[in-house]
Amino acid sequence: MSAANFVQLLLSGLAMGAIYALTATGLFIAHLATTRLNFGQGDFLMFAAYLSMALLLAGVPVLLVMVVVLVVLALMGWGLERFAIRPLDRMRALVGGQYSWVLTTMGVALIIQNVVTLLWGKSSQYSPPLFSANRQNVVQVFGAGVFVEELLVIVAALAVILLFYALLYRTRQGRAIYAVAFSPDTAALLGIDVRRTVVLVFVMASVLAAISGVLVGPIVTVQPHMGLVFTVKAFAVASLGGFANPLGVLVGAILFGVAESFSNYVNSAFGDLYPLLLVMALLVIKPSGLFGEAKTDVR
Amino acid sequence: MSVETHNSPWLRNGAYAAMAVAIAVFPLLISNTFHIHLAQTLLYTTIAVIGLNLLLGLSGQMSMGQAGFYAIGAYGSALLTAKLDWPIAAAMIAGIALAGVAGCLVGLVALRTRGLYLAMATLAFGFMVEIATQRWVDLTGGTMGVYGIPGLDFGSSTMGKTYYLWVVGAVYLAVQIASDYVMNSRIRRNLLALKENESAARTAGINVPAWRTVVFAVSSLAAGTAGAFFTHQNAYINSDAFTLNLTLTMLIATVIGGLGTSYGPLIGTLITLMIAELIASLYDVSFMINGFILLTVLLLFPQGAIGLVQQAGKFLFGRTGAGPETPTAMPDRPVALPAAPPSNGPTLVVENLTKRYGGVVAVRDVSLSIERGTVHALIGPNGAGKSTLINCVSGLYRADSGCILLNGRDVTGLPAHARAHMGLARTFQNLQLVSSLTVMENVQLGIRSNRSIVGDFSSWLLSSSFEAEERARALALLQQFGMAHLAAARPEDLPYGHRKLAELARAIAEEPAVMLLDEPVAGLNDREAQEIADVIRRIRDSGTSILLVEHNMEFVMKLADRVTVLDYGERIAQGAPEQVQKDPRVVEAYLGGSLEQSAGKLEAAS
Repeated sequence: MSAANFVQLLLSGLAMGAIYALTATGLFIAHLATTRLNFGQGDFLMFAAYLSMALLLAGVPVLLVMVVVLVVLALMGWGLERFAIRPLDRMRALVGGQYSWVLTTMGVALIIQNVVTLLWGKSSQYSPPLFSANRQNVVQVFGAGVFVEELLVIVAALAVILLFYALLYRTRQGRAIYAVAFSPDTAALLGIDVRRTVVLVFVMASVLAAISGVLVGPIVTVQPHMGLVFTVKAFAVASLGGFANPLGVLVGAILFGVAESFSNYVNSAFGDLYPLLLVMALLVIKPSGLFGEAKTDVR
Repeated sequence: MSVETHNSPWLRNGAYAAMAVAIAVFPLLISNTFHIHLAQTLLYTTIAVIGLNLLLGLSGQMSMGQAGFYAIGAYGSALLTAKLDWPIAAAMIAGIALAGVAGCLVGLVALRTRGLYLAMATLAFGFMVEIATQRWVDLTGGTMGVYGIPGLDFGSSTMGKTYYLWVVGAVYLAVQIASDYVMNSRIRRNLLALKENESAARTAGINVPAWRTVVFAVSSLAAGTAGAFFTHQNAYINSDAFTLNLTLTMLIATVIGGLGTSYGPLIGTLITLMIAELIASLYDVSFMINGFILLTVLLLFPQGAIGLVQQAGKFLFGRTGAGPETPTAMPDRPVALPAAPPSNGPTLVVENLTKRYGGVVAVRDVSLSIERGTVHALIGPNGAGKSTLINCVSGLYRADSGCILLNGRDVTGLPAHARAHMGLARTFQNLQLVSSLTVMENVQLGIRSNRSIVGDFSSWLLSSSFEAEERARALALLQQFGMAHLAAARPEDLPYGHRKLAELARAIAEEPAVMLLDEPVAGLNDREAQEIADVIRRIRDSGTSILLVEHNMEFVMKLADRVTVLDYGERIAQGAPEQVQKDPRVVEAYLGGSLEQSAGKLEAAS
C-alpha cells in the first residue's frame, strides 16, 4: 500500500466514520432519554439522502436544500414519536411485548422504503456534490489526491457533533434530557416537561439522520435498501459507546469507519463485514462498550 | 393467555389426534397441488414462529435475525445434499444443528447483555447472513442459487407432495406439543419471571442467563428447521428468500396470532400467508402493506387474533372457565411448615464483608452469624448499608472482600440462583412479584420440583394430576395466610399487605434454611404487622434462620433474638435486643448525638 493510498483510505474512513457518528448519536440520544430508539434510523437517513438529491438535481440552492430536508425530517421524527411510539405507552402492561416499539419503528421504516422506491425507483443513483464543483474534485494532501467532498463532509459532521455536545452539556435543555434519562417521574416533579423532552430527542435523532443523509449522498451511491446498512452500523457504533458515553460513540464511530475502509481495501468482497463481527465479539467480551464500566442495576 | 390449571390430557390429546387426522387426510382429499404446497408452507413456517413466540412471548427477548438461522438451516441442508450427496434426513439434521450452533454463538451476546442489545446483535447477524448468501457466490451461488437439491418426496413423483406434508405435519405436531407443554409448565412460569423481574427470578433459584440462552438457541433451532424444510420443498434456493423481510414476516405472524399463546403461531402464520396470497399482485407496495400491518396490529390489536377471540368469548358468554377455582373443602388449621435440614453450628455466617461503589464504601468489614432457628435483626439509619449487605448475601451484588458461609459452605463466589438452591430465600423491600402470573403461580415459582423434564413432560401429557401436588402445596401456604380465595388473582389486584404475604409465601415455598426479609412490615398497619410477626415466628420455630432488615423498632425488639446495628456501613453494635437498645453508640446513630449533648446544644442556643 502506497502512502498516497493510505491517506486516501484514512480520509474515506474518517468521512464515513463521521457520518456513523452523527447517525449513532441520534440513536444514543433517543435511547438515553427513553430507552427506546428508531430501528429505522438508517431509513430516515436514506430518505434524507434521496430528498436532498432530488432537490439538488432540481436546482435548489444547497443551503435551502439543507433547511428543507432538516425541517421535513424533524417533522418525521415528531410523527414517529407521536404515532408509532407514544401510543404504546397507553396499553396495559404492553400486551404486544416490551419491544413493540422495535416493530412499530421498523414498520415505519418499511413504509418509507416503499415510498422512496415508488418515487425514485429501485436502482442506485448518484447525488450531486454539496460543496465542490463535481464529485471527482480532488486536492493534494500529503501527496495524495483526496476528494474535496470527503474532506468537507468530515469537517461538517464534526462541527455538527461538537454543536450537539455543546447543546447537551451546556444548555438547560440538555440537562433536562439527562434528568429525564435518570427518572421521568423525578424530572416531572422538577418541572421538566417530560413529554416535550421525549418528542425533542426523537426530533433531534431524526435531524441527525437528516444531516447524515444530506452529507452522505454525494460520497456513496444512493439506493432504497441502504437504510438497513446504516442502521446496523450505527447500532454497532453506538454499542461501542455503551449507549451511555457520547465520546465513546464518537471514538467508536471513527475507529469503525477507518477499520471498515482498510478492511474493504484488503478484501473487497466481505471487507465491510469484518468490523461488524469485531464489534459483536467485543460486545461479548466487554458488553458495556469501549469506555463503559460494567454496571449492574439491582434493587 | 388463559392457561387452564386443571390438566385435562384426554381432551387435549383428542385435539392432537384430530389435528393428526386432518394433516393425514388433507392431501388425500385436496387435489389442488398449490393448496397442498400452501399447507406445507403453513406447517413449516409455523414451526419457526413457535420458536419466536417462546422467545418473544415468554422470555421477552427480541430477535431481528430469525431469517439468518432459517438461511443457515436451508443452505446447510441444501449444500450437503446437492454438493456432497448426503441423505436428506442427515443433511436436514446437520443444517438444523448448524443453525443451533449459530444460535448459541449469537446467544452469547444475549448472555452478556440484555434486551436492546440482543435485538441489535440479531439484526446485525441477519444482515451479515443475508450479505453472505448474496456475495459468497462460490458457496451459495448468490442470486443464481443452489440447484439440484433433492425434494423430500421419497422418490415418488405422484405422492411426493403428500409424503412431504405428512413429514412436516408430524414435525409440526411434535413441536406444537412441546410448545404446549412449555406453556403449561414451570418453564412458562420461570420464563415469565425472568422476563419481568430478573432479580426476583434469580433469588428464586432461576439461572437467568442459562434460561435466556437456551430459549434463544431453541428459537434458532426452530427457524433452522423451517429453513431445512423450505429447501427440500422447493428443490432450489437463492439469496432472495432470506432477507430482513422474512424475519419481519415471522414477527408479524407471532404478534398477529397472539403473543405468548399456544395456538397464536399457527393462527398468525395462517393469517400472514393469506394476506401474502391476497396481496401477491400488489408487489410494488408489499413493503408498505407489511409496514401498515405491523403498525395496525401493534397499535390497535396488540393482543392478537387469539386475544380478540378470547375477548369476544368473554363478551358473549360472560366470564368463562379460565383460571383456577378455589377448592371449598380445605383444612382450616395451619399446615405444618417443613422442617429445615438439621445442621450443626450457625446456618449463615458473614465474615468481614466489604462492598464499595466506586469510592464509596457501603459496607465495611461487617461480620455476623445466625444460629439455626433464630431471628437476627439488622438495623440502622437510612443509608447504613443494610440493603447492600442483604443484596451481597443473596448474591445479587458481589462483595469486594470477605466471605459468606451457608450451612458451613463458602458461597461467596456463587451466583444468586445457586445460593437459592442451597437454601437461601429472600423477600424484597419493594415487592418483586411477577405481574403476569397469578398469585398461586407466583408461589409455585418458589416450589422446587425434583421431577426431570422428561418425567414432568409425560406427567403433563398423560396424567390428570399434573402438578397437583405443587398446586396443593401453594394453595395450602396461601390458605395459611387466609389468601386461598385470592389464588387466581393477579398480584396488582391485591392490596399491599396481601402482596407482601404472597411474596413471603413464595419464599417459604422454597423451604429455605435461611430467609432474608427486607423490611417485611414497611407500609403495613399494626394488625397486618402482627400477622407477619406471627408468620415469622412460625417460620423460625420450624428451624429456619431469619435475617430481618426492618425500621419498625417495636417489631424488631419483639421478634429478634439478636440484633446487629449498622451505621455508615460499619457494625457499631451487636447483641441481644435489650443490650443493643441501651448502647450509647446506637442511640447516637439514631438521634444524631446523645440526649445530654442535645440538651446541652439547646441550652447553648438559647
